[in-house]
Amino acid sequence: MANRSGPQRPNGTAQAKICQFKLVLLGESAVGKSSLVLRFVKGQFHEFQESTIGAAFLTQTVCVDDTTVKFEIWDTAGQERYHSLAPMYYRGAQAAIVVYDVTNQDTFGRAKTWVKELQRQASPNIVIALAGNKADLANKRSVELEEAQAYAEENQLLFMETSAKTAKNVNEVFLAIAKKLPKNDQNVNPSVPVNITAWLTICVLRAGHF
Amino acid sequence: METKSKSMYDMSSSGTEIFTHGGVGYVPPSATKDDVQTCGTLSIVSYSFGKCIEWKPNDVSIETDGSEQEWAMVNTSKSPSASSSQGDANPQRWLSVRIPISEIKSYRVSNKKTKLLLVHKDRLTHTAFYFQFENADCFTKSLRSVVRTRRSRHDKHTYNIVQERVDPQMPHSFSDFNLLTDRKETVWKFVSDMRSKPYETTLSTFSKFSEYLLYKNPDERPSEEVARLFEGRPQQPQNPALDGSKSDGLSEYLIVERLKPRVLCPRGQPLSVTQWANAMDAEGRISDVKELKKIIFEGGVQDSIRYEVWKFLLGYFPWDSSTHERQELRQVKTEEYFRMKLQWKSMTPEQEARFSDFRDRKTLIEKDVNRTDRTLPFFEGDDNPNLGLLYDVLMTYVMYDFDLGYVQGMSDLLSPILSVMSNEVDAFWCFVGFMKRVFRNFDMDQSGMKKQLSQLHTLLSAVHPDLSHFLDEHDSGNMFFCFRWLLVWFKREFTHQEIMVLWEVMWTELPCSNFHLLVSVAILEREKDVLIENNYGFTEILKHVNDLSYKMNLHDVLATATAIFKQLESSPNLTVATRRVLGLSGGSSHNSSSSEDDSLSDGLACEMAALEKDCDQGDTTGVTPEK
Repeated sequence: MANRSGPQRPNGTAQAKICQFKLVLLGESAVGKSSLVLRFVKGQFHEFQESTIGAAFLTQTVCVDDTTVKFEIWDTAGQERYHSLAPMYYRGAQAAIVVYDVTNQDTFGRAKTWVKELQRQASPNIVIALAGNKADLANKRSVELEEAQAYAEENQLLFMETSAKTAKNVNEVFLAIAKKLPKNDQNVNPSVPVNITAWLTICVLRAGHF
Repeated sequence: METKSKSMYDMSSSGTEIFTHGGVGYVPPSATKDDVQTCGTLSIVSYSFGKCIEWKPNDVSIETDGSEQEWAMVNTSKSPSASSSQGDANPQRWLSVRIPISEIKSYRVSNKKTKLLLVHKDRLTHTAFYFQFENADCFTKSLRSVVRTRRSRHDKHTYNIVQERVDPQMPHSFSDFNLLTDRKETVWKFVSDMRSKPYETTLSTFSKFSEYLLYKNPDERPSEEVARLFEGRPQQPQNPALDGSKSDGLSEYLIVERLKPRVLCPRGQPLSVTQWANAMDAEGRISDVKELKKIIFEGGVQDSIRYEVWKFLLGYFPWDSSTHERQELRQVKTEEYFRMKLQWKSMTPEQEARFSDFRDRKTLIEKDVNRTDRTLPFFEGDDNPNLGLLYDVLMTYVMYDFDLGYVQGMSDLLSPILSVMSNEVDAFWCFVGFMKRVFRNFDMDQSGMKKQLSQLHTLLSAVHPDLSHFLDEHDSGNMFFCFRWLLVWFKREFTHQEIMVLWEVMWTELPCSNFHLLVSVAILEREKDVLIENNYGFTEILKHVNDLSYKMNLHDVLATATAIFKQLESSPNLTVATRRVLGLSGGSSHNSSSSEDDSLSDGLACEMAALEKDCDQGDTTGVTPEK
């Protein structure tokens, strides 16, 4: 799996494209949004990850074919009370991961609401992924894989069940998004110098995660 | 000296009317909600000191015979005592309005073009005019002939005033200089001209120039000497109006120079056991609360008496109660607590199944208790009984204030209190006291937070106008990057030990109840150079600020915040808004009415509304935001 989705060696040229995308994480409180980001960005997992207040911002870079994709990740507070702040974060986002907790049916309902809101109010071409997190607790599951899959297909969402705790499908979901994002000139960031050493470092770092 | 600066804005100084429009209504700021608009004439008038927008009521035109007429300078920089006392004492004397165009940041036309809202440069003062017979188009058209405007990116009805158009006949005006070229001679010439020119011209374009000097790439910046010339006070003894202590009406521009120098405010020792014991009389009453609070403000409280002192600071125990009275009070409060606790404890599963509002609150609490401060020894480990206490107190608080319920952030506010009290009843009542101060942070519509963020912007503008200007220009004027600081009183920024000190300091409400905003200014001050030099945008600023967590020295921050307060307090000519935030006299009133408060956050509210509107319309660009 690592090889399939993992970074590929650059073909010796320094002409690789670098694209930058804004990605926002949305979902009910305590479904594991921050944990997914922490796993993806730092390879860590905190059992008692504290609640997010306001928003957090992190970046991570992945390689897809000949393109380096830099994610600017907005991690938001999940509680309904802070809903009015959400548009500030998803405005202009090219990608979103809507997260629910596979052990909690309510959070799946909430995820659907987020998807609807994004479809209505976010950028029209936004790439949305649905992530059923806490897959390590599948024995306590209350949202069936098939149910979520069917919903995702219906709404043309990328879908994976993930576990920030075991790292299952965490990098995969981000990579799937990176592959689906249009890597046209619009998103190429000309200000980032293409540096072969940095490229290799990124690839090595990324490889360490698999 | 006095005479000259006064005459500038005096009615008797003659001006040329550029444009006049009748049938325009205006409601003076001192009017009550029910007051009706007065009909009058809106004009643009050119004076020797610059162009102004003026409004005169119809029925007093007969009195316009010179200096007797009262002018309400809707100008935040005017000495607050002068404008507010006039207005407060007799609203009828607000006969006319004159606003220097250089004071206006933007205008917005709404209500089917019948309402013209002028937003002043401090972003807090707004003046609205109502076009009663026609729309505002012809007026705004004339306005645009004297100023350059740019439509707001966030709101298509808002136009920002970029710069006043300079009279073509004025020699060596700013338009002659291409400020964006990198020729040093030009800059020097500009400097020498600026120094020799009437200061009015200089000041009207000052902001543009300082922006050039301060925010251009370092390698394109003119030599340090030039920059220093502009940062320091211009030395022009022959021009009395530049003598900061005397000039009137221009403090908006000179405020940086006008702040008194900072005085060091070293921190003190924490309140000791002996001091605490000595503060009580034989019956256990505390008489000199003021002195006690002063000690706590300067140095905090020793660990061993914290659990006792906090009960007073948080209003659970009255300062003047005797030991005996407190024992009785505690008994009553214990009973009350357990009565409320029983209410949720005794709920049957069937009841709960049909009580979704309760269930929602309970679920949120369960989620957050499990992840609050689990690295603290007090809460660490599986099945820690203190987690049960945290849960019980929060659940009981839901029954105490069901409407507010539980909002994320509350468990952060309770955790240190519970760890100090170790007793659920005492912790509950202390938490109630804390929540009484901060419940507006948890407003459904975020209005409490928006208001504070707006007040923070006001203070920052007074202390570091360059930084607040930078933030405005980098999509961060809403100060949202400080949301976490203010919501949970820096709980996520400092260690547990530091938070206890910081909170007890802030609970004294010394030197003002908005001290937490000064703490924010003190922190931002330290980061100012990094933010500006790196030319950070909205995301980088938020990331940088979030990453300051656990990297700050609390004592330094507190000392700086105190020094900033003293500096501001001793500085004359603070804006009314600033004085109001600091609770200083001259800021209208200490207990500013809610309508005034609302107007304070209006700027932000507009911004938020514009933002939400943008989102409603959908962002169709899909392009990576520019960096």
